[in-house]
Amino acid sequence: MLQYLLMCRSLTYAQRASKLLERSGITAIVSKIPKSAAGSGCNYCIKVSEKRLTSALEILNTSGLGPSRIFVMSRDGSVSEVTE
Amino acid sequence: MIYFDCAATSLQKPPAVPCAAYNAIRTKSSPGRGSHRPAMRAADSVFECRTRLDDFFNVNDPEKVIFTSCATHALNIAVKTLVAPGDTVVISGYEHNAVTRPLRACNANIRVAACPLFEPDKAVEAFRRMLPGADCAVCTHVSNVFGFIMPIEEISRLCRQYGVPLIIDASQSAGTLPVDFSSLNASFIAMPGHKGLLGPQGTGVLLCGRQADPIIFGGTGSASTLDDMPDFLPDRLEAGTHNVPGITGLNCGVCFLQNCPEGAVLRHERNLMRLFISRISCIPGLHIYAADDLKDQTGVLSVISDKLPCDVLAERLGSAGVCVRAGMHCAPLAHKTAGTLKGGTVRFSFSPFNTPQEVELAAEILKKILCNA
Repeated sequence: MLQYLLMCRSLTYAQRASKLLERSGITAIVSKIPKSAAGSGCNYCIKVSEKRLTSALEILNTSGLGPSRIFVMSRDGSVSEVTE
Repeated sequence: MIYFDCAATSLQKPPAVPCAAYNAIRTKSSPGRGSHRPAMRAADSVFECRTRLDDFFNVNDPEKVIFTSCATHALNIAVKTLVAPGDTVVISGYEHNAVTRPLRACNANIRVAACPLFEPDKAVEAFRRMLPGADCAVCTHVSNVFGFIMPIEEISRLCRQYGVPLIIDASQSAGTLPVDFSSLNASFIAMPGHKGLLGPQGTGVLLCGRQADPIIFGGTGSASTLDDMPDFLPDRLEAGTHNVPGITGLNCGVCFLQNCPEGAVLRHERNLMRLFISRISCIPGLHIYAADDLKDQTGVLSVISDKLPCDVLAERLGSAGVCVRAGMHCAPLAHKTAGTLKGGTVRFSFSPFNTPQEVELAAEILKKILCNA
């Protein structure tokens, strides 16, 4: 199953987002974002499964904790940005 | 030993505090510096404490809770953010050097809203007179020398009325009195972790009601390719590795307070002070700085004796096993306002862990020392 990486501006932001999703029953793991997607460097993200992506985004956006960018991680570990 | 110097640092802590700090040293590394287990354990601990403080002080946004090394560090950030050279700043007559020295370093034009001890209405009037035209105000919530509770809600309301940003020094109130960030509506509230919040030394907290300027620059584990500090909190103000053992211990101290019945800490400390006053008020030549109505005072009590200078009295108490503090308490302005600048005072400050038996014994020791002097 594909993993989606929801990029957060800071570790604290990612932790807040993760806790919020976990309270709604969505597994969201805080992790460093791969260097190839890091942008200004050393950013954190939360990882959610493809199945839960839509509901996760809905919850985060409603709470003002939406991600700055979204990436998809393929099975070989490479990441690419989701533009739409 | 009887420890009555909690206004400096609370010595007795909930047992979980040192255990958590020790455990953190052994198992936790740097938050925000990796995804490995020791780093994420550290990150989880820091976040847990941040969210607990957010809840305890009703901030409603954990990103506005900043960890500092002490209240002084937090106050320096607040002052440097709001005060430019030549700005007019109104302060109470009971401020600590942690407020007055940064203001002088900024070349601020300081107006002192002085009022007599334990007269909160006069404090409000003094601020009302001084605030028009001011650029900033700084007010302690509680005097560290006399335990005088300033009418901070009214002062905050006045600051809003006059459009003056307010910095609150909650060094002596955090953990003892309710401090509601959202209703106080201050620009910043600063506090130590090692006094009423029962955490380890080396911890402090700044609650931010607005964007702030860093005074320490460096790595944050975020936005690393940028030359400047990140523009978002808390990272903007938290350069360098966090004091993870301290913050982990602080989390346990605040957890202990959250589990106490509402107002229990203040009631206990006031009861101890009331008992102490009743036992020492008969000592000849002893001047006790107590409010007529104890609702204006926390469990901090200053005294002066006609028989012994403050430092000698504190020394003798210390030799007899009673730990107190004497002198200026880093707050010469408070002594100037109260008329005790010449010799300072001897300060007794109580904690949730002190007992009536300790108070009785300390009062007996004080009587003996002064009767034999």
